[in-house]
Order: sequence, then C-alpha cells, then structure tokens
Amino acid sequence: MLAADRIADIAGLQGQLESAGYVAEASLAATLLLTLDLGRPLLVEGDAGVGKTEIAKAFATVRDVRLIRLQCYEGLDVHAAMYEWNYQRQLLAIKLLEQDDRPLADKEKDIFSEAYLLKRPLLEAISCDESPVLLIDEVDRADEAFEAYLLELLSDFQISIPELGTVNAITRPLVIITSNGTRELSDALRRRCLYQFIEYPDFAKELAIVKIKAPQAADQLARQVVAFVQQVRRMELQKKPGIAETLDWTAALLRMGITVINDDGAQRIIDTLSALIKTRDDCTGFTPEVVARIAATC
Amino acid sequence: MLTVEALEQSDVGTVLLTRIAGFTAFLHENGYGVSAADSVDIVDAASRTGVLDQPILRWNLKSLLCNRYEEWQRFDALFDAYFLPPNIKVFVSRDAAVGAPEVTTTGGDDGSRESPTTPENAVVDETKAARYGASREENLSSTDFSELNQADQARKVEALMRRLARRLKHLKLRREARSQRGRRLDLQSTIRQSVASGGTPLRLAWKTRRRVRSRLVLLLDVSRSMNAYSFFYLRLARALCNELADVHCFIFHTRITSVGEALRDPDPWRAQERLNVLAVGWAGGTRIGECLQDFNREQGARLVHSRTGVLIVSDGYDTGDTALLADALGTLRRRARRMVWFNPLLNQPDFTPVARGMRTAMPYLDLLAPGADLAAIERVLPQLIKSLR
Repeated sequence: MLAADRIADIAGLQGQLESAGYVAEASLAATLLLTLDLGRPLLVEGDAGVGKTEIAKAFATVRDVRLIRLQCYEGLDVHAAMYEWNYQRQLLAIKLLEQDDRPLADKEKDIFSEAYLLKRPLLEAISCDESPVLLIDEVDRADEAFEAYLLELLSDFQISIPELGTVNAITRPLVIITSNGTRELSDALRRRCLYQFIEYPDFAKELAIVKIKAPQAADQLARQVVAFVQQVRRMELQKKPGIAETLDWTAALLRMGITVINDDGAQRIIDTLSALIKTRDDCTGFTPEVVARIAATC
Repeated sequence: MLTVEALEQSDVGTVLLTRIAGFTAFLHENGYGVSAADSVDIVDAASRTGVLDQPILRWNLKSLLCNRYEEWQRFDALFDAYFLPPNIKVFVSRDAAVGAPEVTTTGGDDGSRESPTTPENAVVDETKAARYGASREENLSSTDFSELNQADQARKVEALMRRLARRLKHLKLRREARSQRGRRLDLQSTIRQSVASGGTPLRLAWKTRRRVRSRLVLLLDVSRSMNAYSFFYLRLARALCNELADVHCFIFHTRITSVGEALRDPDPWRAQERLNVLAVGWAGGTRIGECLQDFNREQGARLVHSRTGVLIVSDGYDTGDTALLADALGTLRRRARRMVWFNPLLNQPDFTPVARGMRTAMPYLDLLAPGADLAAIERVLPQLIKSLR
C-alpha cells in the first residue's frame, strides 16, 4: 500500500471521528488504523479527563458496531467480567428434572448448558457475530490477578469455562484498554498492546472540541473559555480541569448569560468556577484578582 | 547515514529491515523494553501501511514500541536522533509539551567516561535536565557509583528489604474478598457452589480480609551533608524496588530526579552508568522545599494517592526557604496516607531537631525515625510498618 493511500485513510478516519464528536490528532487516527491492521489491543493512558474513554465510544460509532464496556474496579473477579452461572434457574431446573427419568449425565449436561450461562462483558465480546469494540475501562483499578485473566483472553481470544469447555471467539473484538496510572500495569500486558498517551489538548484542539460539543457558544466566547482553561491548567492545581470540565464550564457560562469573559466580571466568573475547579484547596487560589488577571489575558 | 528519503529510493525490503532492526536495538540500549518480536510487528505494520512517509512511520513505531509514559515522552527525540541526518536537529517539532530536544544538558563533566559516539546518554536525562536548568550550587564533579555494586552489605540489605516488603504485602484491608480459606463463611458463594450438589452445601466458601496495595514513594536526600548515607539508602532503595512493584524512587539535592528506572535496571553496570548521568549535582547543596514543590507539581497528582506512604530520607539541613518547605510538606501530607522521615542523625544521643528543615517538617510527620545504619532501620521496622498501615 502506498503511503499516500494511508495518509488519505488517516485523514478519512479523522473526519469520521470528528463527525462522531471526537477530535483526534492524526497520530491517534494512525494508531487506531494500526490496531485494526494488526488486531492487537490498544492501551490508552493519560490524565483524567483527556477523553480516553471517548475514543472507544467514537470509534464504535464510526465503525457502526456495538460498544461493550467493562468498567474495572477493585475486587473485580472473573464472575463479574467473564461469565456466571444462573444459579436460581439452575436450582429450579434441578427440582423440575427430579421427575424426569432421563439418564443423569444428560440432566447434568442440560443444567450446565448455555441457556443457564450469564454472559458478562468479556464473554459477550468474543461471542458477538460482528466484531464489537471492547472497552476495558480503568484497568489499573482491577487486581493483578484479573490482569492475568485478561492476558489469557487477549492472547488467544478464548475463555475456558470448566463445566462447558472452551469458548472460542467467533469474531475478534477490537480492544481498547484505558488506564489512569493508579497502579503500575504489568509489563506483559503492556507488551501485548499498542500504546497511546493522550496529553491535555492544545489550544486549537480544545477549541475544535468546544465548537463541536457546544455549538451554541459564540466564537469569541469559545476562544476565551479555551484560553482561560489552558491558563488554569498551567497553574499548580491538585486536580487539573479536563475536557469535560471545559464543556461543563462553557455550559455554565451560557446558562448564566455570560457571553464575554473580561476582567470586570470576575465575580460572576467565580460563581461559575465550581464547574471547573473541583477541590477546596484549588478554589482558595481563585481570588477575584487572580481570575481578573487571567481573564484580562484571554 | 541513511535517511528516510534515501530509503525511499533504495531496495525497500532489506534496507528497511536492517534499518528498523537497528532502531529497536537503539531503543533497547536506551532502556526500552522492546524485543525481537516487536521487530516482526513493525515489519508487518510497515508492509501494510507503507512506512516511507515520515510521520506515519513515527506514529506507528511510537505506538508499537512505547510501553509507558516515560518511553512515550522520550520517543520523539530518539526517533529524530536515529532517523534524521545529524545536521538537521529537529524535523518537526509537533509536540510542544515535550519540547525540543536540547543537546547541552549533560555537559562535559561526565563526557570523558562515555564514548563520544553514543548520543543516548544525552537523551536519557534530557527532559528532566532541560526543565530544571543549572544551579550555581550544584556539584559538577562526578560521583563514583561503583560502590553501589559492592557485595559486602548487599546481602543483609536485601534480606531486610525482603522482610519489609513481605510485611507490607501482608497488610490487610477491612474489606473482604473470596478466598480458599478464611475466617468467615461466604454464604452467597457457598449456596452457589451447593448447586452442583443439588442444594446440599458440601463445599464451603470463605471470605478473608483483602490485601492493601500500598505504594511507596522514596525521596532521598543526596546532598553533601548526607554524603555518608546516600549510597546506603540508594542500596536500600534498589533492594526495595526489586521486592515491590509499586515503589517510586527519587533523589534530590538542589533539584529532584527520578531514579526508579535506573535502579530497576537488571544489569548492575548499566544501572551504574544511568545513575552517573542522572546524578549531576550529587553531594551539592540542599533545597528541600523547592525539590518537594517540584515533586508535587510534576509527580504529585500522578504518584501520590490515599494509599501512598512517602518516605523522606534527609538530615534536614536545608538552605532553601522554610516557608516553601512547610507549604510543600503540607501539600504532600494531605495527598499521602502517611509520611515518614528518616534522619540518620537521630541516633546521636544528644539529638534535638535543630536543623531548620527538620524543625519545619516536624508537624507534618507521622513518624520520625533514626536511620544511620542497618541495625537502626531494623529496630524501627515494626513502627514503620505500623505507621504505614
């Protein structure tokens, strides 16, 4: 394939993602195409609120396939992530089968059949007819033990269920894994994945996002909002505002009827800052003088 | 030197293979966890996409070969250094956050021991050094890290750290999880298992208290006044890094530098080389406050969470601003679970915390521990573990 075709593909995907509401750099689009080509999972890291999860959503929309999401948390186990037997139904079935005079082996086969299997996200993802996007969100919150399970799935795309046998993938899902870095992931997992780190967006990208997601904001306000947020990110804060915060804040400003940010309206801006600044320590830094100073440069 | 442009006009197959295999080797030398299998993937990717376009090649290799953020950050500079002809410094500086690579950072002080043809050492420390800039009080003479590999105390240090690590791994939460055996019956799971035996609970399921996954952040003072203890602590840090996965180690004097990756390097001699590069300013002055503030700004939000134990090793002799130190310690203390300060001088019988830094720090500490030698640390171990729980 020629490089020129690839560049066209990348630009095409960027355009499609944008119409799905996600502004992606060319490098991200190139990586997504590569994940498709190689069939390897994509590990996305970055600070909270830079749009890691959104990638999977937008990509599923673009490819017009299902998005299956597995939210990881501490103590997530195989029963919640892969499969579980439907015990209540099985117990009922046992009672009903007591009158049945079929051989015992048949009965047992019946009880442990797919009808009594509850598919959790991972099993679901490999048993879809059409290859879905599987989003494994915040994998760092799950335990190391779960990571090991995940590795088995990601290398062979099969799940072994002791009572039923091995379930092989009908189609391979496109796997996107996100991590917030609350725990160091194992090297084995990292090696198996393509890697993408998402930075906070620069001015142009964030402006494009605001224009797509909040079209009702006037051009001048959008520019000012983004310039303001970019400055705030440069300050020493406990929790830097992400893109979601920018959009929330834009909505808050619009709701308050603020159409232009200037240093006169510092107090009014402070009233809306709760959408942007989320810890008490950070709030104390935003005195009217500070806000006026930032606003004056926007 | 071959360039991407030159590649375009030549026999793609073989030249490409050797050139790209060379790049993986180059990254490997720079501490990337790449393997031969990656080369196969690259060639696979290349044959699909046509690698001859410079940005596509960069993006593809970046996502294929990087495994973590530190590698991601350094990648562009390494890519430029390898693929671009030497007279063009930066092809495209797309990424403003990483900044243009600077070549001047390591200076001539350790240039004498490195072979002049390896640019990789200059790149290792580049992002950090470029950010901090030089200071008058830095010690520019090089430090001999060979002491780190001496065997005399190593065994004892490792044994002690293994014990600490084992104890830390056994800290338990109040929350419970299923387990093979435990102290309480997991009724739900027992009933589920009883399905297999027609409703008779033959096999019992248990719950036990879950482990805490604590993280340790070590901040080691390596200024002149700490000279006698620095190596000792670095050795402790390395032993601990080898035992526990979630340990993050930094050294500070007039600025703060991460040494975690260098300490984890399985090859002791290469670890030594990397430390040499990182340790510009070793045994210079101390500015604890500024260093901690830098740490808070750049690493704090990412590294320190509600299960992090912060261990600071310093004698508290500080030439910086004490207000700054108090401020930085306060911020750090609020973020972390516990803060422990090891002071090697504490062993002395007439010790009172007179050093300015120490006096400032006292209100923020959960534990002030003596730590001049292994025996002292061994004595304080139970208290340390208790305070970390």
